[in-house]
Formats: sequence, C-alpha cells, structure tokens
Amino acid sequence: MIFNEEQTMLQDTLRSFLADNAPVSDLRALRANPDGPAYNEDLWQQLVELGIPGIALSESDGGLGFGYMGLAAVLHEMGRNLVASPVVSSVALASSLIQLAGDESQKTQWLPRLARGEITATVAVQEGRQFALESLATRFDKGELSGHKTLVMDARESEITLVIAVTDDERLMAAIIPSLELAASSDRYKLMDGRTFSDIELGGLRVPKEALIGADGGCHNAIAKALDIGTLAISAEMIGGAESLLERTVAHLNDREQFDVKLATFQALQHRCAELYCQLELARSAVLSAFTRLDRGQDILRAASQCKALANDCYLTTSNEAVQMHGGMGITDELDIGLYLKRSRVCNQLLGDSSYHRDRYAKAGSL
Amino acid sequence: MSDLDTFRQTTRAWLLENCPESQRQPIVKAEQIWGGRNRTFPSADAKAWFEAMAARGWTAPTWPSEYGGGGLSAEEAKILQQEMARLQCRPALYEIGIWMFGPALLAFGTEAQKQEHIPKIIRGEIRWAQGYSEPSAGSDLASLKTKAEDCGDHFLVNGTKIWTTNAHHADWIFCLVRTDPSAPKQQGISFLLIDMASEGVSISPIELISGESEFCQTFFDNVKVPKANLVGELNKGWDVAKELLKHERTMMSSMESMTEKEEVSLDALARTHLPLNSEGQIANGELRARLAQLSMEMEAFQQLNERLYYQYQAKQVDPRLGMLLKHIGTKQLQRKDELLLEILGNQALSWETHRASSVEQRITRNWAFNKSHTIAGGTSEIQLNIIAKRALGMAS
Repeated sequence: MIFNEEQTMLQDTLRSFLADNAPVSDLRALRANPDGPAYNEDLWQQLVELGIPGIALSESDGGLGFGYMGLAAVLHEMGRNLVASPVVSSVALASSLIQLAGDESQKTQWLPRLARGEITATVAVQEGRQFALESLATRFDKGELSGHKTLVMDARESEITLVIAVTDDERLMAAIIPSLELAASSDRYKLMDGRTFSDIELGGLRVPKEALIGADGGCHNAIAKALDIGTLAISAEMIGGAESLLERTVAHLNDREQFDVKLATFQALQHRCAELYCQLELARSAVLSAFTRLDRGQDILRAASQCKALANDCYLTTSNEAVQMHGGMGITDELDIGLYLKRSRVCNQLLGDSSYHRDRYAKAGSL
Repeated sequence: MSDLDTFRQTTRAWLLENCPESQRQPIVKAEQIWGGRNRTFPSADAKAWFEAMAARGWTAPTWPSEYGGGGLSAEEAKILQQEMARLQCRPALYEIGIWMFGPALLAFGTEAQKQEHIPKIIRGEIRWAQGYSEPSAGSDLASLKTKAEDCGDHFLVNGTKIWTTNAHHADWIFCLVRTDPSAPKQQGISFLLIDMASEGVSISPIELISGESEFCQTFFDNVKVPKANLVGELNKGWDVAKELLKHERTMMSSMESMTEKEEVSLDALARTHLPLNSEGQIANGELRARLAQLSMEMEAFQQLNERLYYQYQAKQVDPRLGMLLKHIGTKQLQRKDELLLEILGNQALSWETHRASSVEQRITRNWAFNKSHTIAGGTSEIQLNIIAKRALGMAS
C-alpha cells in the first residue's frame, strides 16, 4: 500500500534523474520529428544502465527485485515528466506476458535479454475504435494470424511484437513475431500526444509453432493478467501526470494576480483544486492497492479495471481543469499543460476507456 | 509464530467465547448500546457482551490500561478490529466519549481529570455530549458567545449550545466557552466540563427532517462549574478543540462502518430490487454504470484508509491525506443514500405508513438524517478550505 524504503529511494533517484535528463521539452523534440524514433534512445540507454528493464523481476531472474511496486514508482515519475520510453510496452506488457504465459524455451530465449535491456518488445492488442478484450477480431486459425491491430507502441524499436489474437474457441493466445517481419504491413504515425504508434495489418501471417503462446487456449488467463499489468502501468503513469498538472495549476494560482490579489485566494478556485486533490488521492490509493495485490500474487482483474477507470477520469478532469485555471495561457502550445491534456486523452484510450472498465468492474463484481 | 499471530488467535477464541450469537448480527439502531447513568440494554445478550468488552478495556482498545483501557498497540487494535469484523461482532459501546472526548482528555487533561473521567467512559457509566456550536456560531465556531465568568472558586456559565447530539440522554457535556471577552476570537476560549445535572442546565430537542430529535439545544442559566473542570490552560481551549475535531472528522468519515448494516449493501439491494437482463446484470445500463462508479470510488476510499494505516505503521504519515477523509467519506455516503432511494423508487417516499417495509423506511430516514454529515463536524465547504490551504498550500 505504500512504497518501502528501497522503492522510495528509487522514486527519489528517478525524479532527480528525470528532472536533469528528461525535461518535458524532450517530448516537443520527439513531436517535431514525425519520422523519428518513438523515444529518446540515449535516455533509454541511461535508464537501462539504472536497471529499469528488470525493475520488477526478482534478483534470481536477473532483475533488481523492486517488485511491481517499484515499477509503479518508475511509471509515476515518468508520467510526471511525460517521458516517452518503452517501459509500458516492453517492461510492463511484453515482459510480463512472456513471463506469465510463455513456455520455458521462450522465457529462456527472451526474458534475460529483455531484463538486461539488450532488446525491447511490444504487444499488439488494440483494435477498432474502443478497446474491448472480450471482442477481439484478430483470429488465429490453422496456423495463421488475421486481423488489424491499432495503437501498437514502439513497434519499430522492438525486436519482437507479441500479437494477441483469439482461438476458434474464443480463448486468448499470443504470437511472438519479429517486428521486422511486420514492418512492411505497418502504418507508423504520431498521435496528438507526440508519441509514435503503429497499425499492423495481419493478412494470414503464418506463425511457426515455437513462436506461439497458448495456441490451445490454455494461457487465456495468464495473457489477460499480463494485459492487466499493462493497464495498471498506464494507470500509474496517469497518476503521475495528474499530480504534476495539479502542482503546476496550484503554482500558477499562487503566482498570478488579478484584482490585486493572488488567484489562489478565491474560494471558487480553492474548492476546485481541493476536489481534484481528493480525486487524485482516491485514484492513487486504488493504484497502490492494485500493485500491492500484484506483488502479493493476488488476482488483479477487478482491481485493474477499478484503477484504469478512476485514473482515466482523474487525468481527464484534472487536465480540463488545469487548462481552464491557467486561463488564456492554458490554451497556448507554449505551456506544457496542453501536452498533458493530450497525453491524458491517449492514455484514456490505451487498454480501455472508463466506460469499458466500469462495465468490466461491474461484471467482475455482482452488478 | 509471532506475538501478533498469537494475539490474533487468542483474540478470536475470546471473541467466540464472549460474543453471543445475537451480538454477531448486523447492527440496527434500536439495538445499539449507549452508556450513561440511566443506561438500559436492549437485551441480556447485549449486556453480557458489553460487560465482557468493558472489563477488558476493549471498548477503548488503545487507551492506557492504567485507566481501564485495553492498552493495545495500534497493530493489536487493528487485529481486534479485523477479528470483530470477521465474526461480525457488533460494537460493544457507542459513545462520544470514546470517539472524540477521551483522546483529547488523555492528551490535555490533568492526572486527576483522567482518573475521574476516563474509566467511566470505558465502562459506559457516563455518557458525554459535545457543546461547541451556538445559534450564531456554526462554521465560524470561534465567534461563540457562551461565557464562563471567573467567580473565585467556580465559573458561572451563561449561554446556549446547539446541535448538542443526544444531550437529553447525556450526563456530562464538554463545552467551549468564552473566558476572555476582550481577547481576539480564538484566544479567549476555554474548554470546560459540565455536569448536565447541575442547576440551570436545560435541554430542548430539535426535530429534524428525518423525524428524529438526536440534536438538541442546551441552555445554561447561571450554571456553577467547579474550577477543576477546566481542561488545558485558561483561554487555551481552542488547542483542545482542534485535537478533538480531528477525532470527530475521522469518526464521521468512518460513519458508514458504524451505521446499520443490513440495508446499506448497495450492490445487494440493487440486485434484489432492480430488473436484471438475460446475463444476470442490472438491466438499466445507465443506473448500473452509476452504481459501479460509486462502488469503485467507495473501494478507493477504503484503500485510502488502508494506505493511511500502513503509513501510520511505518511512521511516515502524509498529513495531507487525513484532511481528505471527512469530505470524501460523507459525500460518498450521501451519494449512496441517493442511489438507495432511487433503487427503492416510490417505495422510498413513504413516511409514517404501513406502505413501506421497516427496511425501506429506515433507508429513507437515514437518507434524510445523513444530510447532517456534510454539515456537522465542520461543513464540507470548511473541509475544502482546509484542503486547499493546508494540503495544497494555496494562498489565503
């Protein structure tokens, strides 16, 4: 429920490291280069040297042993600075998927290299306008993958792409595809948040047996859990982003004067900020609780949906309020507030919007 | 096995042995056990349960054992709470003295005051009321006018207090009174304990929108109060009041856990009262979404409390988080009440008729009564002021 001493130190270290090495202006540079990389490679190499790719893995698996709570601390700090990196795609999603659902030879082949940061991997799961895990259209049939994937993160930078599909009995499976093989059928673009994504067309792609995960449907729950870890990872990033927005907004209100007084002295603004803080701490408590469940080996399906819905709404509301309370400057591109606003909307869509997760939470409960 | 594991086992065994079956059912208001000189018990089982708990000091688990308290550590008290919840044991005593006044007296009282009052609270012998608000001093509490004049060996108290919860059942009242009319607002206030049986004290219950009269107005007409009943220093009563208010807000944020359980399970009521679709889900998708939303937020509130508990254990409390509890908890409770009413539909509209079941009537009455939660103990607006200024550091 709270960070232990090591996790707190990790968070502090990363906060000062990112303040020095990954200012929000980095994102502007990425945004200005439409054909460029999805993230700053040099920064990623520095993060690799800090051990971030193996942050959640135990020391016996070649990781740092900070647990998933350690991963939450990392993503929170990245969210504060809008840092583009493969932590969600590779560390949270792809590595978890191979670890939870892969067979022994797949684990041996990929996990050590992923944990050392020698390569990265990504997961292609989203489809259509809104994400819904229960209605994926990508099929795995007679050894072939067919479908259309959207919003794949960091595809070109990844050594492998784990494509999620459904078997003929509607169970989740995954296929490990070298990303190079997908390049020709990929469409790479930037979204409003300046981040790079790809759509991938899968027209009957043959997959060798050794690259299949759960082709018989036997890994359905493990794959769903790995995706839920990704959902939690994005939620942690969103809490960091919302926290930064609220801090920036309060600082602005404490600084700006109108009618000869600080804007922060107006009760109408005080109460709005106080409500945002309540919403933030509720969402943060849900996220910390879910990561704690993860580290304890407990089920996270309902928790992941609770977190994503609350974090989505929190980031969305906070970004809208931040723009409004920054006044005219809030709608300029010069201020970073707009970058957070746009990132909040992309995060809202990644791995499920609020209405999807509210419904999934209700289903998992008794409603 | 660790000491705490042993404690858990012995506690569980003790509860099983001492908590009668009838006291392990969801609590209803009429069966709550309140203390006081004229206390009565709703049943023999309730009496036995109360006496067993009071004898162990477990009506006040963390208070020092030298005054009859349980003397438990925070960890042990948490275990006791968990085990009581697991076995569905009812609270053994409902008492403002335990929730609010006792902790403040332990912090600010003299040794003689603690010896006099603390054991009686724990044993449920004296029931306390709170005398803070006045007809013209609500949110602006420090503008209170009830005065206590120094008359040598005693104070002479004149004035009136309002919203004195259950004053008509209380034996003693702790009051904020003005002892220095010339000092700036908060500096001329003292904290005084008054025996309600004193000559010149009169009480008039106030009928509320819920039909209940838990709140009273209490009048003091030339009431003589011994000097020994002053808690803390003269004119420093505001410090005691602030300490006490913290406990009141914590209590109010957890009100949900203390109120009647049987009709308040929102999800269960929804499932039994609303049409379901072929998949067994609540058919009205819009209402279902709002139920799920509140359910998620209420779970997050529990997680926030849990987080605070872990912070407390690790001695790393983030003081900002405690400021959020009252506002969030009471607002959620009221949202829940509104949803309960919506689920009951026109069955919730009955007031004093045979038309609605007792459960339905209670839901309606609670809905009306719980409007008080965002007003009493510092309104939500005051809470938001505090959050903005103290938690977020907004300029004032």
